[in-house]
Amino acid sequence: MIAEASLGSKLSIVLATARMRMLNVSRYKGQLFVEILIPIVFAAMPILLGRATGGAAAEANFLRNTGTANYPAFMLIGSSTFIIVTFAFWLVGYWIRFEQETGTLEAIYLTPTSRVWNAAGIALYSAIRSMISGSVAYLIGSLIFGVNPLQGQLLLALAFILVGLVPLFGMTLLFGALVMKVKEANSLVNLMQWTVSLLMGVFFPVAVFPPLMRLLALAFPPTWMVNGVRSALLGVGYFFGEWYLDLAVLWGFLLIAPLLGFWVFSGMERNIRRREGVGEY
Amino acid sequence: MDAEVRVERLSKTYYPKQRKGLFKSERREVQALREVSLEIRRGEIFGLLGPNGAGKTTLIKCLTTLLLPTSGDAWLHGYHIVEQENLVRAAVGCMLMGERGLYWKLTGRENLIFFGALYHLPPKDRRRRAEEILGLLHLQDLADRTVETYSSGQKMMLAFGKALVNDAPVLILDEPTNTLDVPSARELRAHVRELNASGKTVVYTTHIMAEAETLCERVAIIDHGQVIDLGTVDELKRSLQRDHVTHIEGIIPERASQAVAALPQVTKLATSVANGTTRLTVVSSDGRAALPRLIEALTAHGALIQNIAPEEITLEDVFVAKTGRSLTEDTRVR
Ligand SMILES: Nc1ncnc2c1ncn2[C@@H]1O[C@H](COP(=O)(O)OP(=O)(O)O)[C@@H](O)[C@H]1O
Ligand SMILES: [Mg+2]
Repeated sequence: MIAEASLGSKLSIVLATARMRMLNVSRYKGQLFVEILIPIVFAAMPILLGRATGGAAAEANFLRNTGTANYPAFMLIGSSTFIIVTFAFWLVGYWIRFEQETGTLEAIYLTPTSRVWNAAGIALYSAIRSMISGSVAYLIGSLIFGVNPLQGQLLLALAFILVGLVPLFGMTLLFGALVMKVKEANSLVNLMQWTVSLLMGVFFPVAVFPPLMRLLALAFPPTWMVNGVRSALLGVGYFFGEWYLDLAVLWGFLLIAPLLGFWVFSGMERNIRRREGVGEY
Repeated sequence: MDAEVRVERLSKTYYPKQRKGLFKSERREVQALREVSLEIRRGEIFGLLGPNGAGKTTLIKCLTTLLLPTSGDAWLHGYHIVEQENLVRAAVGCMLMGERGLYWKLTGRENLIFFGALYHLPPKDRRRRAEEILGLLHLQDLADRTVETYSSGQKMMLAFGKALVNDAPVLILDEPTNTLDVPSARELRAHVRELNASGKTVVYTTHIMAEAETLCERVAIIDHGQVIDLGTVDELKRSLQRDHVTHIEGIIPERASQAVAALPQVTKLATSVANGTTRLTVVSSDGRAALPRLIEALTAHGALIQNIAPEEITLEDVFVAKTGRSLTEDTRVR
């Protein structure tokens, strides 16, 4: 009766965890609505600023710097992708600390399941929730600012997001381990949000960065994700010229980042169990 | 008889930070468990009795793999707690932290089904098991309400139900009746007895002597991280037969109890105060012969005796005889 679990039942935990989180968030419907507005408001600022200050040559300048004249769509893609990245930090990175604070962490550690499967379930939940919020925000935002949301290669854009999500979640696990160490998330998440939004080029093309910052930005998977989406939809141009080369870079991140994330995460886990136990906060 | 749980020289030391103002802090050493050894037999209800801070929860956390011990070994259902942690977890149903271990925004049923998944039950069995537990604990009417709307007693009951999800051979309950009112506590203990009768080994921690006495077959008395006595409830009581225990209640001034303590026949004395009445637990060496001396000493120092109850030994007396302290917190130590 007591035996190590099969792979099937471990995968089933991924689904059950995602489902549980969905049920949980469905009890905060107002929040879901507000979330969709955030990327739109976030993009509205630079779009309107652009209209106010850009003048006659605005679109031409933007085209020269970014590869597209469609700056509202550029901003909307940036802010919608940003919301996906933010969710990853809040939902996946902060997840373990969150369960520790609410008290359920010990309860899940009592079960014969590696935290890998819980984390994967949380990541799946974060992916679903943020992809829905991000796409709806992009759609509504496009209608508001009068751009066509269905231009370009939509499937390719989706591929960049899906492939980019995995290394992103790996990164947020690293971040989660850090949160468990300092036992405080708010200022860390805030710091990460601004750093990430700057580095990934939410409002600016990475091309305008100073060289050192540009290098840093390119070491960062979301930068490739957002540029891939912009290239697929708006044709701003891939970093390596071709879509498959950029996608291959993201695949590379995909293979490394989650492993690194889990490695650091398990170290943190062992350390805590050796010291005061997972429940103390 | 088989050992369902075997603990060998298990120690756990915490190093909590001592805050010294704004920036300074230093590590202090807290030995929560000191070389604890014990065996719990298959099919028994085993009590861990000790005052707050004795180390009961720490022992439970080590046994359930939440904590890695500093040294020593333990096996549960034949599995080693460090080397075979997932098998240990599968073999235990545990109630720890009570209601905090539940998802308050989920309903009772959703909670049970989710934990069923974490215990690797196939989807159909998760639902079936949830229904069984809800029925057993009479929680059907609450099943579709979110846990946040439950009373504290109802939350504790559901937390107890969560410990049953995997139908494990070993049930570990850490002070499960802590926040329950008397009838609910009685109901929970009745469930524990039933589950035990159906074959489960139960480990039950409590700081309430009466609870251990009514529920448990064998009890380990724990104090300061050490097992100070272990045996059946009767054995523990019989070990005190040579000593004579007398409970005296009344309005007893400090100097009167000091006078009793000073008597040569008195080996241990614990005092507790409730509702203005003082209760002395006196352990004396030469049986009833000491009784007149006790009364004499008390009345001579202005005590008003309301009740004398000799010879009714409880586990509390065992604790007093071993440690010189009472199990309840409002105890002055001699
Ligand atoms: N996380 C922790 N860090 C430091 N000390 C702890 C921690 N948890 C418990 N202790 C200490 O260990 C001792 C035993 O605690 P515990 O096992 O909770 O006792 P009990 O459950 O019997 O009340 C106490 O002195 C307590 O203060
Ligand atoms: Mg405790």
